[in-house]
Amino acid sequence: MPSSSPAPHKPRRKPKNSDNDIDKPVRVRSEALVRTPSFPLAAFLWPARTSSSQWEVLPLILMVVGLFRWAAGLWGYSGFQRPPLFGDYEAQRHWMEITAHLPISQWYFHDLEWWGLDYPPLTAYHSWALGKIGNWINPEWFALVSSRGSHDPTLKIFMRATVIVSEFLIFVPATTVFVRRFSRLNGVNNWTSNLALVAILMQPATILIDHVHFQYNTVMLGFVVASMSSMLAERYMWAAVFFVAALGFKQMALYYAFSVFSYLLGRCITTGINPSRLFGIALVTIISFGVLVLPLALGVLYDKHRGINAIPELKGAAAPLPIFSFITNYIDTQHFYYPIVEQLVQMVHRVFPFSRGLFEDKVANFWCALNTVIKLRNYPVELLQKAALGMTLLSIIPPNIVLFLRPRKSALPLAFAATAWGFFLFSWQVHEKSVLLPLMPMTLLLAGKQGMSGEFRAWVGFANLLGAWTLFPLLHRVDLRVPYTALTLLWAYLLGLPPTSWSAPFQEGQSALVQWGTALLQSTFYVTMAAWHVLEAFVPPPTDKPDLWVVANVGVGAAGFSICYLWCFWRLLRETDLLPSGSKVKAKTQ
Amino acid sequence: MAESYPTLTQCALVAAAFKVLLFPAYKSTDFEVHRNWLAITNSLPLSQWYYENTSEWTLDYPPFFAYFEWVLAHLARLVDPAMVRIINLNYDSWETVYFQRFSVIITEIILVYALQMFIDSSSLPTRRAAQAAALSVILSPGLLIIDHIHFQYNGAMYGLLVASLVLARCKSTLLQSGLLFGALLCFKHIYSYLGPAYFVFLLRTYCLSSRSIFRIKFLNCVKLGLGLGGIFAAAFGPFALMGQIPQVLSRLFPFSRGLCHAYWAPNVWALYSLADRVLIYFAPKLGLPINAEALNSVTRGLVGDTAFAVLPEISPRTCLVLTVLSQALPLIKLFRRPTWENFIGAVTLCGYSSFLFSWHVHEKAILLVIIPFSLIALTDRRHLSAFRPLIVAGHVSLFPLLFTPAEFPIKTIYTVFWLVLFLIAFDRLAPASNKPRVFLLDRFSTIYIAISIPLIAYTSLFHQIIFGKRLEFLPLMFTSSYAAIGVVGSWVGYMVVYYTS
Repeated sequence: MPSSSPAPHKPRRKPKNSDNDIDKPVRVRSEALVRTPSFPLAAFLWPARTSSSQWEVLPLILMVVGLFRWAAGLWGYSGFQRPPLFGDYEAQRHWMEITAHLPISQWYFHDLEWWGLDYPPLTAYHSWALGKIGNWINPEWFALVSSRGSHDPTLKIFMRATVIVSEFLIFVPATTVFVRRFSRLNGVNNWTSNLALVAILMQPATILIDHVHFQYNTVMLGFVVASMSSMLAERYMWAAVFFVAALGFKQMALYYAFSVFSYLLGRCITTGINPSRLFGIALVTIISFGVLVLPLALGVLYDKHRGINAIPELKGAAAPLPIFSFITNYIDTQHFYYPIVEQLVQMVHRVFPFSRGLFEDKVANFWCALNTVIKLRNYPVELLQKAALGMTLLSIIPPNIVLFLRPRKSALPLAFAATAWGFFLFSWQVHEKSVLLPLMPMTLLLAGKQGMSGEFRAWVGFANLLGAWTLFPLLHRVDLRVPYTALTLLWAYLLGLPPTSWSAPFQEGQSALVQWGTALLQSTFYVTMAAWHVLEAFVPPPTDKPDLWVVANVGVGAAGFSICYLWCFWRLLRETDLLPSGSKVKAKTQ
Repeated sequence: MAESYPTLTQCALVAAAFKVLLFPAYKSTDFEVHRNWLAITNSLPLSQWYYENTSEWTLDYPPFFAYFEWVLAHLARLVDPAMVRIINLNYDSWETVYFQRFSVIITEIILVYALQMFIDSSSLPTRRAAQAAALSVILSPGLLIIDHIHFQYNGAMYGLLVASLVLARCKSTLLQSGLLFGALLCFKHIYSYLGPAYFVFLLRTYCLSSRSIFRIKFLNCVKLGLGLGGIFAAAFGPFALMGQIPQVLSRLFPFSRGLCHAYWAPNVWALYSLADRVLIYFAPKLGLPINAEALNSVTRGLVGDTAFAVLPEISPRTCLVLTVLSQALPLIKLFRRPTWENFIGAVTLCGYSSFLFSWHVHEKAILLVIIPFSLIALTDRRHLSAFRPLIVAGHVSLFPLLFTPAEFPIKTIYTVFWLVLFLIAFDRLAPASNKPRVFLLDRFSTIYIAISIPLIAYTSLFHQIIFGKRLEFLPLMFTSSYAAIGVVGSWVGYMVVYYTS
């Protein structure tokens, strides 16, 4: 919402424009002083418009978002008192238990039936550190085997605190810096960028998954934001390091890998061929991966030296490789480095479960929606795998070609979002929680040039509210309706979105046709979502279709997300000047 | 400038979302107290309300509050019938928690409405300051801790008080103000501490002519008398008809309690206890006799009954005399110059007196000072400098109410957030005073505020690490002594401001 700026913003430092001026500096529109905030969040920061000091506002913002996170954490987590396997909370706790107690070479092998470790090494190290700290506070929390399924209330407090601390160490600073840089790049004033920061940090889906349901997604997302932020600052090697860290924390960061690759490559080629930069990035990436697995490799060698095996039951014999078994044809299993190979292969096997199904549970992506029409189970797995691969590539290649050809800083979030939507909608083995991945870059758009304008708020808000809505069945399982309602409605209220206000699409800029089109399209979804909640709450599904409501949720969600994908792609084309701005094109893309 | 942002409603809405998220937080026995009252009023006839004693938490609020519970109980029965059964002691199903917590949030609308009245009644130049003060009340960490975590209905009660105070601002609504205050007394009798200020103010401005204090306005006296009589009759009449007044009064005023409440409220007696404790070590040198019994009780400060080792015992009569004396002083000024500002000042000072000197004061009663004071704290910088240590001390003194680890970040971060936000805002909004400042405690207040940080760190973290479970009274003693210094200091500071302005 640059229009509500009290004074034209002058950045203290001018953004660097080293690369052929493709990031055009944007001039702030200095319009007449707006006297009333156009949505409640702006009202809350209204008194801060005149305050010049960022250091008064930022701590207050961080305290508020921290409070909301902690309060949300008072609610139950996934799998609370749900034997036999409990849920994600138990998985994370269990990893702390095994990493804190077992030798490193057994981490990826220990009792895989009970939440075996299936995340990359950085998660394992993170769990190890937290497990050691927790063990120091109370050894019962992470006692080997006997602590399984523990529901000690003070343990819950410890676990909740670890999520918040991890987030405040990684995601929050990364986002703060990104928002500051991105706003400055787009000529958005400090006050407006603070609005964006609050909106991003209060995203309901992230709080619900990480702080209520329980996971550490924000650590991975934080590394990705840090990587994007480094791209804005033109520190490409740091971008590579942060992205490797994200991948090393959660393999899901692969959703962004194509965009990272095409942006960095574009910056080395399209904007003037720069081989030394390309070489530097490649080298740093390789070194980062090396550093990532180094503790694991050294630990394995040390364990071997001490006579500790990955699988004690085998009594020293080398375990057969779960995948890539051809490797044993080339290297000797008795060689000193074989345990490392074995470890890495096992890690890859655990991290990428090719053997699992096309989708897990009910997720609002294309395949699950298609499944309601055609029973995909009747098709051979290989065909489905190929179809998934083909469709994913088809959806992600166009935005990434655009990003490669026009690697503009201002286009980064759009390209990331479009690529992640493509992955979410079409790829293999998608979780409903993965919706956080496309939502993150899309929400970052709020810090951009027109981030707080009606159109962007409407679309980013639509994606976020729809995303939170598709997570409802997951949250509903452990009775988290109240925090879901409170957080989602609060966010919608703050940003002036349905159901609290329907005015966002009509605020400024576009032609009346586009405004009405957007409003109608989105309103259809909002009404459907509201109606769905009523149905789900009061009408039991027919006995022969017990999953009817969940399936309906999935179908609507997939449709809405496809529209979000198209919007991001269309916006990307406009941002990179491949499309002239005009309402005709918009109508066609939709 | 038509309206300043954020508005009261906006803040109340966002705060409500936060309060909803706090539903599963720690709840004190007061939660069960109120559930039990729902059960009593719903399942027993009026005649047995003040006799029922299945639970130890008997009904000990005046009748209007009982009627309020009776109304709530009708809804409660629909939500969960088991909630309103008397024998269901300590019943806390999810429905019960949702219902009771939600009722606190909903009834707080009264406070929002009253504060909006306050903003609207302020003159245009002071409206922004009034809005900031109103926001500070609706977002008060005191109300958050006491009402929405600990569990009580103070929001609604203080809403009635603020409404009554605001009504006193305009000559035409003086009668409503007095009647509303009368009704408030029938909800919760703790507000009778503020009664003297109301009495003097209404006597002077409503019952006596403004020109001469010897000309009595008889019609006004009759209206006020009849109105108050009617209200008290509505509250206590049914019980009077059944001859239950002695029983009701014995429930409302249990005189068997000790001088200091479970945790020492930060008042004069906390400092007195501290002095006593310190004197134990010096008594032999000074040749003072020591009461051996008091010395032996390790749990000093933790049980209701306080015995002093060196200093003389305090009797309820001493407390009463001190309270009345300290209330009388500001009332003389109020009688001579009955402006609204002086009235609010007198109400605040009555609150101070009762909090500082009364028998068995609860630390929750600090709101009795903070909330009336908020309405005039932004008058000028002199008022603000007395207000500042009060809000720090008053809110820190509430921390011991919540002792569970899960609520620790909420109470501390929220309070720090609130203090930072409003100390900055007040500092910008308070106009300079046209009277010279009295540098009595101003310079100390910054140091005083700064000390709170290591204090909170010690009481909540380091004490446990150093001493474990031993000397549990020590952090409580530190907190209440610290807070007592702040409250007493701000009282002295405000007394000076009150008399010199």
